[in-house]
Amino acid sequence: MKNQRSSVRHFLRVIVVIGSVLLGLLPGSARSQLTTAQADQIRNAIGTRVEALTVLGGDFGLAGGSYKSSGANDIEITVNKFGGSGDVGDPQKLGDLDIGWQPRLQGSMGFVDDKNHFHTGLLNGDTSENRSFAIQFGGGARFWLNDRLSLAPTVMGMYGHTSNEYTAVGAFMQANVIQATQLGLVNWDADTWTVRPAVNIQYLYTWDRTIITLSSDPTFFHTESSRTSNSNVRVNGNSWSIDDKIDVDIPLGEQVYGHELRSGGYFSRTELLGDLKDGLNTQHIYEAHGRLVLDFLNQLWKAQWIGVGGSYLWGSNFHGWSAGADVTFRF
Amino acid sequence: MERAILRAVFLGATLALTGCWTAPIASVRPKGEPRLIQGGIAVESTKDAAIVQSIDAGARTIVVQYPADATRATYRVGPKVSDFDRIKAGDKVEATMAQELTVYVLKNGQLPVAGGPPRAVKSDARVLMVDPSYRLLTLQYPNGRNETFKVGLDVKLLEMEAGDDVVIRTSEAVALEVEKP
Repeated sequence: MKNQRSSVRHFLRVIVVIGSVLLGLLPGSARSQLTTAQADQIRNAIGTRVEALTVLGGDFGLAGGSYKSSGANDIEITVNKFGGSGDVGDPQKLGDLDIGWQPRLQGSMGFVDDKNHFHTGLLNGDTSENRSFAIQFGGGARFWLNDRLSLAPTVMGMYGHTSNEYTAVGAFMQANVIQATQLGLVNWDADTWTVRPAVNIQYLYTWDRTIITLSSDPTFFHTESSRTSNSNVRVNGNSWSIDDKIDVDIPLGEQVYGHELRSGGYFSRTELLGDLKDGLNTQHIYEAHGRLVLDFLNQLWKAQWIGVGGSYLWGSNFHGWSAGADVTFRF
Repeated sequence: MERAILRAVFLGATLALTGCWTAPIASVRPKGEPRLIQGGIAVESTKDAAIVQSIDAGARTIVVQYPADATRATYRVGPKVSDFDRIKAGDKVEATMAQELTVYVLKNGQLPVAGGPPRAVKSDARVLMVDPSYRLLTLQYPNGRNETFKVGLDVKLLEMEAGDDVVIRTSEAVALEVEKP
């Protein structure tokens, strides 16, 4: 019995140390013992992290990129995603109303690699890596109230798979990694599904040949796990994001190989709420994006432009960047 | 402060909601006095697939018939079409034609002429939509078919609008794509 208690304590200590360092949730004083509430808090935090990584990786509305946060531990998050959204065809009259409408399709798939390198304490030298794959698809309709203002309510579904791999270098975790795995703190994996209702509010303004687009995207995410490798890993939570953006699309009046050069970019602020805020440990993400593209509209299938673009992203405790091909289609 | 924000939101909403959405219509009367807006607008138009009826290799012309309405058309084939000699009667071809557009604002189909009587202009199509940013000009033909052209940087799209009359002059085929049976 005594041994059992000692063993339990040892388990609990592992939970507290790993939980607090990995998730950054518990105060330092909690390392000596773990209450039931704290254990639940750690489990919830793992679920929240899974939810946040799935949304970050799979959602077309959130920016991909390479993020870094430095401190006692180095955290690197790399998000590679491919996807987007588009309105199909020209607007059609909605019944007898003076409203135009057109179908809207949205889809995305992405991978997240979230790597934590520990440089202090008992976990010094260890690495915890979360990998998440997510794919989403859905649609709705855009309703034009006039030539400039439109609303696009949409619903999407998303599947996600997230796994954790812990590399124990230090003596402490080498001795306790099996117990930590049994408790679902490390080396777990989970399948999740997410439903994502949202509305895009867009206002278009054309000044000479320059198109200025103001938009706001309030979005709700509900995520649940459909299968987990450990019963202690549970995902069931809600998140919200509100992405406010101004985009400027400027034709430059110069042609390259028969295609007009266009420049521009956008500035956005994404407010994160609920589990998304807790899971990513930030309240908002700012993004400044620039692009240089060639106009292919009506010249190459449904391509609107093809070129290069880059973003700088920052939040309250991280910064990051992304760069790559900038391709937009108009269907 | 809150009042100021509320006022700004209310003003923005009012401005945004001003007017209603209307579907593009080519039959509207354009604004402004009758005039020539611009001529010599070079575009390329890809026609529906048609069956080659005959070929005059010397004159570099082909006669095609459109299956949909059995109408026939004679096309002059430009020097850009390098494999013209491989096309034979019975082939199904899709021709890309070089065209020149002239855009007018007309009044009752007539264009005023300085110091003389107005000149009647026979319109082939009307402007349905204009996208100056991406240089797209969408025309509507009398049969209701729409066609969108990518036009050059020198085209005065900011002066054009729905309802403008367009005269189309077709010069020659710049590409002939033979459809395999």
